[in-house]
Amino acid sequence: MNALAHAAAVTGVPHSSYIGLSVLLFAIGLFGVARRRNPLLLLLSVELLLNAANVALIGFSRYWNNSDGQIFALVVMVVAAAEVVIGLGLVVAVFRQRRALDVDEMTELRG
Amino acid sequence: MNTSVLTPFLIVSGAGVLALLLGVLPARRAARMLPTATGIVALVAAIIMSRVQWGGPDETALASNYLSDRFTLLLDSILAVIGIAVLLLAWRESSSADKRGEYAGLILLSVAGMMLVAAAGTTIVLFLGIELFSVSLYILCALETWRSRSLEAGLKYLIVGAVGSGILVYGLALLYGATGTTVLSEMQHALIDGDMLRDPLPIAALTMIVVGLGFKASAVPFHMWTPDVYDGAPTPITAFMATGTKVAAFAAFIRLFSDSLLGMFDDWRLPVAILAAVTVIIGNIAALLQPGMKRMLAYSGVAQAGYLLIGIAAGSVAGVEAVLYYLLAYTAMTMAAFAVVVMREREVLDGDQIGALRGIGRSRPMMGVVLTLAMLSLAGFPPLAGFIGKFMLFGAAVDADLTWLAIVGAVGSMISLGYYLKVVAVAWQSGPPVDDTTYRTPRSVTIVAVVSAAAIVLVALFADPLLTLCSDAAQGLIGTINR
Repeated sequence: MNALAHAAAVTGVPHSSYIGLSVLLFAIGLFGVARRRNPLLLLLSVELLLNAANVALIGFSRYWNNSDGQIFALVVMVVAAAEVVIGLGLVVAVFRQRRALDVDEMTELRG
Repeated sequence: MNTSVLTPFLIVSGAGVLALLLGVLPARRAARMLPTATGIVALVAAIIMSRVQWGGPDETALASNYLSDRFTLLLDSILAVIGIAVLLLAWRESSSADKRGEYAGLILLSVAGMMLVAAAGTTIVLFLGIELFSVSLYILCALETWRSRSLEAGLKYLIVGAVGSGILVYGLALLYGATGTTVLSEMQHALIDGDMLRDPLPIAALTMIVVGLGFKASAVPFHMWTPDVYDGAPTPITAFMATGTKVAAFAAFIRLFSDSLLGMFDDWRLPVAILAAVTVIIGNIAALLQPGMKRMLAYSGVAQAGYLLIGIAAGSVAGVEAVLYYLLAYTAMTMAAFAVVVMREREVLDGDQIGALRGIGRSRPMMGVVLTLAMLSLAGFPPLAGFIGKFMLFGAAVDADLTWLAIVGAVGSMISLGYYLKVVAVAWQSGPPVDDTTYRTPRSVTIVAVVSAAAIVLVALFADPLLTLCSDAAQGLIGTINR
């Protein structure tokens, strides 16, 4: 009985689904980074990149049956939160100064 | 496990928090002086602690998350010296007058993050360190909130940096998927013993890690943010980014590529070599076209990252040794150049243009000599530190059967003469210096300039003991694999 329950838990979601979802999220994130010009949406796309890594980490953690991946995912979540806080702060500061949110209009510095 | 090996890192990160708190003291005088003073004391203490631990055996702490080997200790000292120099450069920065706590605190936290990268024993700590110093730098870039260029630089750096981090962490996640561990030393065995070397998973992981670290080290084609951010950020912070970030990014490169992923050497050797070659060529050519000192130094920094990548591509003890020595030399010469820019920028309008340096060698010979030494060393003139470093890097490449890469590096150095020598020529030009004001340069900036210039000479003069030091540090790293 116990063994059966264990088997059901292990076969819950196939490992390939984790990888598939994570690759999809990563692709959407990269597309967003490349196409969007609004800093808020850029930050959102970056979040997708980081969360794609989280899904992959959790999936691999189940595959290898150790907790390294879950610890890594927790760290990534904290880092993502910190990055967004600073990103939003900067966006607000820029908005106050120029009332426009488009990175293509930020041309005082030209690469 | 021995937690005392953590002291250099703990001192610096603790002092960072303390400096942030001291910055909000009600007493104006105390709030202005104490954060910087705390920072300098803490960084000196960190240097002393890493000196004390130098002789001891390699240790790991926090369940092999933190490695304290000679590599860590050497980089800790370099990073602490960079931190002191940056604090001194920002000492009388007018713009930082009411934000001294944030300035010093974030610089210290950033240095702590870089130290963490150098000491990383797992990919988790590696990522955490990279993010700690990046996030602190995003704020430092945008700290002059009333200046729209500073804000723009901060936001651009944040977005590009976050994309780089996102790609890097995805690569690290895939690496975990390929090996089943985040511990760097175990990864090595998993990648060698397993017959998964030809799998798509490690190859994809490798690609993403190279791209992610390429963003941090500003290697071409991931360098586009560099000139804009260097230009817009407050100049002491630009000096910090040019030196500290470079050291940390290459610490990450060495920890991953010359140590854990050495088993996959054949897979990453050519891509990294090509990355190095492209970076050297594009960086040097773009630097030729820049009218501003800060932008020119930004592109020169891109080119220097290319030279350093040559050492990584060699994948040998000699390569790592050369990278470490060149990082020492690079830090000294870049800091000297930026100290002169910081000084000039406060004296005249548009002080960061190359034209603002006209005649500085005649009106103030000391600054002229500092600038000349920095430029000649960056260009790789013998017998200065930059020459010895490049010689070692190219030599390591030749030994690793990458002669073509050494030739590309040498050609790049020749191109670089075009813009480095132009600065020297402008500095010693006759004619009236650009509106020489009576503004007195703060002594702290002069000290940084002179000490850095002296370091350029001393690093070359004491090349022998320093190289022994570097090879000690490199040997501990690659000791586990016999190549």
